[in-house]
Amino acid sequence: MITEVDTVAYDALDKSGPMLVEFYSKTCGPCKMLAFVLKDVAKNDPDFPIYTIDYDANQELKERCGVKGFPTLLFMKDGVEVSRLEGLKQKPAILEEIAKLKG
Amino acid sequence: MSTNRVTHTLEEHLITRQNKAEKEFLAAFESEKPTLENAHVLVNPYLINPLCALILFKTDKPAAATLTIHGKRNDRENIVHAFPEGTSHALPVVGLYEGMVTRVTVELSTGESKTFEIQAQPLPEDVCRCRNINTSMDYFGNNFMFLTPAGKNLPTAYDYMGDIRWLLTVNTMFDIKRLKNGNIMTGSQRFCRMPYNATGLVELNLLGKIYKEYRMPGNYHHDHFEMPDGNILALTQDFSNGSTTVEDMIALLDRETGEVLRTWDYKTFLPQNVGGSGSQDAHDWFHNNALWYNPKNNTITISGRHQDAVVNFDYETSKLNWIIGDPEGWPEDMQKYFFKPVGDLSKFDWQYEQHACVVCPNGDIMCFDNGQYRSKVKEKYIRNRDNFSRGVRYRIDTDKMEIEQVWQYGKELGQTFFSPYICNVEYYDEGHYLIHSGGIGWKDGYASDALGAFLNPKKDPTTDICSKTVEQKDGVVMYYMEVDGNFYRAEKLSPYHDGVNAAFGDGKLLGHLDVTPTFDTIPDVPERNEVVDAWHQVNIEEDEDRFVFHGRFARGSLAMILLEGEKETRGYFINTAASYHLAMCSGAYLEDDDRVIKMNISKEGLSGKYAIKVLVEDAIYQTGVTIYC
Repeated sequence: MITEVDTVAYDALDKSGPMLVEFYSKTCGPCKMLAFVLKDVAKNDPDFPIYTIDYDANQELKERCGVKGFPTLLFMKDGVEVSRLEGLKQKPAILEEIAKLKG
Repeated sequence: MSTNRVTHTLEEHLITRQNKAEKEFLAAFESEKPTLENAHVLVNPYLINPLCALILFKTDKPAAATLTIHGKRNDRENIVHAFPEGTSHALPVVGLYEGMVTRVTVELSTGESKTFEIQAQPLPEDVCRCRNINTSMDYFGNNFMFLTPAGKNLPTAYDYMGDIRWLLTVNTMFDIKRLKNGNIMTGSQRFCRMPYNATGLVELNLLGKIYKEYRMPGNYHHDHFEMPDGNILALTQDFSNGSTTVEDMIALLDRETGEVLRTWDYKTFLPQNVGGSGSQDAHDWFHNNALWYNPKNNTITISGRHQDAVVNFDYETSKLNWIIGDPEGWPEDMQKYFFKPVGDLSKFDWQYEQHACVVCPNGDIMCFDNGQYRSKVKEKYIRNRDNFSRGVRYRIDTDKMEIEQVWQYGKELGQTFFSPYICNVEYYDEGHYLIHSGGIGWKDGYASDALGAFLNPKKDPTTDICSKTVEQKDGVVMYYMEVDGNFYRAEKLSPYHDGVNAAFGDGKLLGHLDVTPTFDTIPDVPERNEVVDAWHQVNIEEDEDRFVFHGRFARGSLAMILLEGEKETRGYFINTAASYHLAMCSGAYLEDDDRVIKMNISKEGLSGKYAIKVLVEDAIYQTGVTIYC
């Protein structure tokens, strides 16, 4: 399930368990493509939580998360980052990270 | 074929066109059997060298021909070459003067002779002219100085007076070397990947006839080296398996088949995140711009601009032997590979962002020390206007791990000889060297902070780019040439060699390109039955083994090329993000409008008929172009 969140909503999230956080920009071609990839990923596993965050509109949060560019994917478990992927990635690479996260 | 919105060109490979041209003129030659008196004189027989000709004639009895290309000033300038005895004569004429008649005399051993007057066309207005040359016929003789382009300029050769005597009208690039068989080898002109990857290498004669194009799955960049057995070492990279780094691999190519026999991946023996020069990033961490094989100890020496390092490793095992460079910033466990400077340390300088490593016969190492940044530490970076470039020769003792600087040329010239990129040195003999500073750029009267590839003096009169080539013998400058434009390398070659100067036979396309990686996810957006908007300037250049898609896209837009076949649809993501290149050793493929992208799609792995469509933002558009693979 893909949910758009801002800083306030992100901070209020129940972060227990695995989840994927994507920082994107509306001015970024690779981010636009990644949105379709994530939709595809969500089809595979509709219950897996995916949160998307606008990089430009959430500057403090991206600093806090150590995100330096977009798109950036943070794979998290219980609120802690386990791994990250930077730049546009294909579905298999993302599924592999999710599998590791769950495994 | 074109529509008002999409241009599609389908052109045979240059080798195919040359093969056809050769068959045609040889058929006419065999059919008409011209004598010397009515010989066939073909200017530019292979379509890409307007300053050459081929004289074809037959003799009843075996005769040896001597060719004289008359100098335009005096007989000392004559270029003379003797050909072997025969009855069927094909004499290449290399070095016509542009835009005028060149007199060429053929004398036969039978006593017969004829002088031909061969008219060459003027060269394009924007060829790079010699601005200043200072040498002599006594020193330079009838050699030409061949310069390979670092931008949209053309490979060009100049005689001792600075007259252009050889030029290819296709943009072959990077290194140029004469092979043992007398042919030359240089980078193909065919674009494959930004910023400057070409499909591979071409072996050609000085008429411009391509004997072989060696296509490489990882493409070619910068440099190559002919091995003692004739196989070719060429610089490349691995684009497969999601590899995200570039310019960090050598491929050994089979000379006959073009196939890759083995590779060396520097990531297996060098750390990637240390010793970075000012231009380093994670993607182009090493930036290999030269290689040299030394049969005496079976090692390969490579130059890595982005680690300020000249690195030597074992050919068989890839075991790292030593590194020449400033050791600052390298981890403790790597320090054993570095040398300690000895001798007159007041004259010693490390090289920075160097190019063109050369192993001298006695084991000394030479390179062109560009000197860009001239420090490992950002706070100590030297601005280009305060910097210098030079040729340098180091003597190394690999037992004591000591290094001594035994020669340099250029430091004393300061910014006037400064090239932040490209360039080379050549070893001719002890004390006799070439030093080519081919990347000089000026802005407001000072050495430019930007690379020459990004300067355009035609549009910005406050800028200038030029190239300076020097030969020094026993400490004396014997040759100095300054030309317009930036040139990657300089190589002095004679117009003729002892081998076969003009062999006939079909040129071959060898090796193979990679299968262009696809993007698995194709966005679910509606398809419109209309041609992509003219604003995108879509241009599809189709070749025998690939096509290049050109198109303009707004920054940050979603764009994808779709190949819709009968059985499958393949998607190729177009990255419309702004890209900033820290290295641009050839600006040949740069566009004035940086929203214009070009993308090479290999026909390797494709089969059948494909309609080309373009996805832009929220819809798929038609191009009206179909390709057959």
